[in-house]
Amino acid sequence: MNSSSVASRIETIEPGVEPSLKPVYNSAKCIDIRDVTVSFKTPKGLFTAVKNISLSVKKGEIISIIGHSGCGKSTLMATISGMVKPTSGEVYANNNLVTKPGPDRGIVFQNYSLLPWLTVYRNIYEAVDSALKNKTAKEKRELVENNMKMVKLSDHRDKLPEQLSGGMKQRVAIARAFAINPSILLLDEPFGALDALTKSNMHIELLKLWNLDNREKTIIMVTHDIEEAIFLSDRVVVMNDGPAATIKEIVDVPLSRPRNKKEIVHDKTYMTIHDKLLNLLIDKFSIDDIS
Amino acid sequence: MKNIFSLKTLWSFLYFVAGIALMGGIWELISYLTKNEIPSPRNTWLVFKEVLQNPMQDDPDYKGIGVKLLSSLKRVGIGFGFGSLIAIPVGMLMGSNKIIMSIVNPMVQILRPVSPLAWFPLGLAIFQDSPKASIFMIFICSLWPALINTAFGVSHIPQDHKNVSKAFGFSNWKYITKVVVPFTLPHILTGLRLSIGVAWMVIVAGEMLSGGMGLGYFVWEEGFNGGSVAKIIVAIIIIGIVGLLLDRIFMGLQKRFSYAV
Repeated sequence: MNSSSVASRIETIEPGVEPSLKPVYNSAKCIDIRDVTVSFKTPKGLFTAVKNISLSVKKGEIISIIGHSGCGKSTLMATISGMVKPTSGEVYANNNLVTKPGPDRGIVFQNYSLLPWLTVYRNIYEAVDSALKNKTAKEKRELVENNMKMVKLSDHRDKLPEQLSGGMKQRVAIARAFAINPSILLLDEPFGALDALTKSNMHIELLKLWNLDNREKTIIMVTHDIEEAIFLSDRVVVMNDGPAATIKEIVDVPLSRPRNKKEIVHDKTYMTIHDKLLNLLIDKFSIDDIS
Repeated sequence: MKNIFSLKTLWSFLYFVAGIALMGGIWELISYLTKNEIPSPRNTWLVFKEVLQNPMQDDPDYKGIGVKLLSSLKRVGIGFGFGSLIAIPVGMLMGSNKIIMSIVNPMVQILRPVSPLAWFPLGLAIFQDSPKASIFMIFICSLWPALINTAFGVSHIPQDHKNVSKAFGFSNWKYITKVVVPFTLPHILTGLRLSIGVAWMVIVAGEMLSGGMGLGYFVWEEGFNGGSVAKIIVAIIIIGIVGLLLDRIFMGLQKRFSYAV
């Protein structure tokens, strides 16, 4: 661990929690995507969104999927979540074949997807109530309370989504996903609609929650933000452009945790990875290149 | 409520008064031009007061205007109630299932443009009773707006909401109560608002045909046959005000149950 980053960590862990937790990398494949192809029937014929994707993710890993718009990132996520069935190939989550959404996979959607007629509390509660059928009503209520507290929204529990800012809505969506205590967290461009400052805070909030849970949750995130991908992830999966998108390259991010937003950008490794990702994603860098 | 006496309300009240005054002026002019064939506002007001006397009198030979109004409202309520009871569930089925939509939609499209009055003789043939026939007529014509709007609402539930219920494993019951109904409610209420408007328009015609009771009968029997144009105008004003109130009730409900999506 980089000693200077310890002194001024932003990614602070709550007091009382052992700060030097190592990522739990056991060899178990938490998510195993095996040769997945997803095609849709459209009026113009068969449209293949992603093709022959294989990817294994270890327990406790944070993976970013990055690529241009329409490259099938969201389709791949939907396949892992079980909302879309692969045309060929399989997805395994915790060694079970994925056939439909399940409480072991929590999802945070692109547009928060809160139900506008339910309060903050009810939005989280209805999800908990559905996903965790074995819990008593009291346990469910406690879970909702705890998760609202975690994202600091207890004071806003009776507000409707329309009364919340973008960042607050996203925190509700994250609390909702965490509340069902999934071992896998799927984030589909979770911070895309937020301004840069709110986004930065949300990154740290997310890592905080991950730390609180002993870094045992596996997180897969779709993004098109290179800095976000590097700051958060252990590996960055770069996709080719669609249709029939494949994995272009998987880039390791061997930066120690906890990471410091301010310092990390001056890190040599960070800069190398940043350049590499930029080269993989963009081939024109100035107007001179367009000719 | 504290702003009720603000400048804005004062102005809108003044505009309202100006509108009424303008209407009264035109009315007075018409009355003058027709040499009181159409009674002036003042004469109509006298008849209006006379009509409003003992509104709840309910004798076999004389029924007050209030009794007539309530009997009209009752028929509208029954027909509209049964219509909604059928229109809303059928609309939900149509909106949620493409096959049901394809089966039911052609029938709706053929029957919807039929004038409500055309249903009256059919109702008479079925029930052999003219009050029941006019309820039947209200029932049929208040079906369509509620049906179509409900179906539209249900078929436009955003994918985001569906994804949430899928991702967290909502039961069918939870999906209906927490997603379908709250999202569709504003659409249903729009449909009901249109339905009640049509029903209220149609009841007058129905009661003219069926005779015996209600505001429509009042217009025809006491107004036209009784030779009192003033009574016809009085009835028109009452019908208009009640229609406005019915509309406002549903508008209020609509506002109460609409959400920023």
